[in-house]
Amino acid sequence: MSRYIIGRIGQALLVLWIAFTASFLLLQALPGDAILIKFQNPELGLGPEQIAALRDAYGVDSPLWQQYLQALGNFLTGNFGYSVVGSVPVAHELLTNLPATARLASLGFTLAVIIALGLAFLATLAPFAWLRTAIQSIPSLFVSLPVFWLGIMLIQIFSFRLKWISVINPGEFEGLILPVITLAIPISAPLAQILIRNIDEVSTQPFVAVARAKGASPSWVLWRHVVKNALLPTLTIAGILFGELLAGAVITETVFGLNGIGGLTERSVRFQDTSVIQAIVVFSALCFVAVNLIVDLLYPVFDPRLRRLKGAPA
Amino acid sequence: MTSIKRRTLGALAALLLAGTIVGPSFGQDTPVQGGTLIYLEQQAHTNLYPPAGGFYPNGGVLNQITDKLTYQNPQTLEIEPWLAESWQVNDTATEYTFKLRPGITFSDGTPLDAKTVALNYDTFGLGNKDLKYPVSEVINNYDHAEVIDDLTIKFHFNKPSPGFLQGTAVIGSGIVAASTLALPYDELGDATKIIGTGPFVVESETLGKELNLKAREDYNWGPVKFTHQGRAYLDGIKYIITPEDSVRIGALLAGQADAIRQIQAYDEPQVIDAGFPIYAPGTRGLNNAISFRPDNPLVADLKVRQALLYATNRKEIVDTLFSANYPLATSVLSSQAAGYVDLSDKLVYDQDKAKALFAEAGWTPGADGILEKDGQKLDLTVYVSLPQPQNEGVLQLLAQQWAQVGVKLNVLAGDAGSRTLDLLDPLKTPVNVTMVGRADPDVIKSAYYPKNRDWLLQKGGSSDKTNFVDDKLNALLEGLAAETDREKRLAIAGDIQRHVLDEAYTIPFFEEPQAFATAPYVNGLEFEAVGRPSFYNTWVAAH
Repeated sequence: MSRYIIGRIGQALLVLWIAFTASFLLLQALPGDAILIKFQNPELGLGPEQIAALRDAYGVDSPLWQQYLQALGNFLTGNFGYSVVGSVPVAHELLTNLPATARLASLGFTLAVIIALGLAFLATLAPFAWLRTAIQSIPSLFVSLPVFWLGIMLIQIFSFRLKWISVINPGEFEGLILPVITLAIPISAPLAQILIRNIDEVSTQPFVAVARAKGASPSWVLWRHVVKNALLPTLTIAGILFGELLAGAVITETVFGLNGIGGLTERSVRFQDTSVIQAIVVFSALCFVAVNLIVDLLYPVFDPRLRRLKGAPA
Repeated sequence: MTSIKRRTLGALAALLLAGTIVGPSFGQDTPVQGGTLIYLEQQAHTNLYPPAGGFYPNGGVLNQITDKLTYQNPQTLEIEPWLAESWQVNDTATEYTFKLRPGITFSDGTPLDAKTVALNYDTFGLGNKDLKYPVSEVINNYDHAEVIDDLTIKFHFNKPSPGFLQGTAVIGSGIVAASTLALPYDELGDATKIIGTGPFVVESETLGKELNLKAREDYNWGPVKFTHQGRAYLDGIKYIITPEDSVRIGALLAGQADAIRQIQAYDEPQVIDAGFPIYAPGTRGLNNAISFRPDNPLVADLKVRQALLYATNRKEIVDTLFSANYPLATSVLSSQAAGYVDLSDKLVYDQDKAKALFAEAGWTPGADGILEKDGQKLDLTVYVSLPQPQNEGVLQLLAQQWAQVGVKLNVLAGDAGSRTLDLLDPLKTPVNVTMVGRADPDVIKSAYYPKNRDWLLQKGGSSDKTNFVDDKLNALLEGLAAETDREKRLAIAGDIQRHVLDEAYTIPFFEEPQAFATAPYVNGLEFEAVGRPSFYNTWVAAH
């Protein structure tokens, strides 16, 4: 098991380095650069000589390999440089925005899982066939709701009309309610779809028939036998949905005026703010690797067939 | 106040026209102290180095936390004392001596003295390569500052700089403490590090989300001619970044916010209908417009540019997309600016004249209806400028108008990098969106001079791909920047406006305002000469 983990960590480091290098090269291939975009901007009204002097001061015209080695060296020593747009150290921006997004994303994801489980159980256990079908179609509705529209509708209804929740200057908890719902609903849809399909599939398996024949109640069968087996593919999807979470966070943050990695990414890409993008790319790669590692380690917990001969996790 | 009053009256008139009886309740006249104003900003501030105050969100913060040497009265455009109680200018406008008001301190307790002011202006005028500070656009021909005594400072210029006095009053000339200017430029996006002498102080900030200002209790050095002296009426201001238009407006109307910036013309009716006042101070510089790059062979011919000017129905653009807060431009310069000349007779819409001019210039309609000459089509490209109000709509409508006379205009959004590079190449961008605000005739030089903004992309300017040069224009611009006699200077400003329109370099659309709205109980929201809000006199009535 430890060899397995060391191997996985080695893989992870490789992924991080590739992510760093690829993002560096891609950003360099784009036309223009952050310094040009910032200082050629009419808002500062700088003349050509002044811009040339600044480009020189920032060293943006030095050879590519030199810039790459410098960026890599800085990264390895924990120096992420400055955000050109925000004019603050990148570390400062990450520290402000990461916890905010982590909170939004984790709450959003948790709620999405709860909604998905709720929908799946209702779709299986609801009393009438027409009701079950109706519930089964809810995920398709959820997945097709545009996040920005959903966010604005929730604000208009619950904040501006009903005045239940403040969007402007809300309390810590109050401020999270609508954004978390906005983020969770579209994410819950694919989870629910997969879960419902797998429950259907597993329910037709012979062992379920056996359990039923032994006199187990439908909810007992669902909880003890079906769900355990139906969770596995859902877990895989959950790992992949992490990316969706970030994408949804961009829009949620913009609509609700929250700060976070989503908005920061969008701004940095727009202005080619290289040092910020690279820090975000490497960090996101790290998260992806970690989430997938956790998912892989969780498989054996849910499925005894995937447990290794010895040292299986309890 | 006239402009604000006029706007408010305009809003009231609109209310009456709409048959609404609910008006803003301006019940109280005596300012009340206290309260925190919730102010919704569309975008987060970026770098708060004072010369970067041209970006509206930056200017909106800097104007509360920094003061300037002088104050430009937004009604009369006269320069009045502020941090400086008096000043002298020599005959050639190469030496300016300022006497500072005694007893002024920065929010970190250090005194405002000649040494600190010298450091500020040396940085603004010359930049600082080690710390990567760019120079300020408004300070021309700066040589050095000389500290005469603790409270007296003399600025030396290597050429006449008649625009400098007004330059000490602009948003980009806020004075900051020496500790702020000791930091690298790359760290000035952190508002807590900007130490000024202003009526408000940065209390805390969550980057990209909110900024809290609190009033300085010991503030007692507002512009000398203000009736209100002493501390600000408000206890504090909470800036909340709210990018979504509908959320800003909805929150204001739902009572969750007190003031907001940026209301598009199409959203104005719902704000006015609710009885909330809209403020749209003008930016008093060069109007929202497009300018040609004559180095591009397609627009090199004066007749083509004139034909395009005649083919532009500016009134339709303004009437279709905007409101009364966006007056139709009658020159390249705003009608509220010093030196403005009404040139409406040169800005006529006449499709027949346009067609005749194209024909004279040798352009004939091709099979697809697009004009052709020597096998080349009259196919032009322009990039949308995001900060300008509804710019995409303006350009799309313009494209439709030009299509009626056989000219194709491609409207591109593009990523920031391609856009920036293409805009430096006249062959790729024969037309560009232009606008700049500043209440001094120097703004015209800033806009057109090749060593400044270089709107026409002249040789020796920002682009290495151009050979176009207009010596007559450049000589006029140099004359404008150096002329010390006010009347003569304004006359030159008039000559330049005529020249620019005679050459059809620029097609001005409208006088660009900055639009704000407040709740009816918010009083005394004022604006500096180019439309940045000032909350010093703002107070909140009981509600």
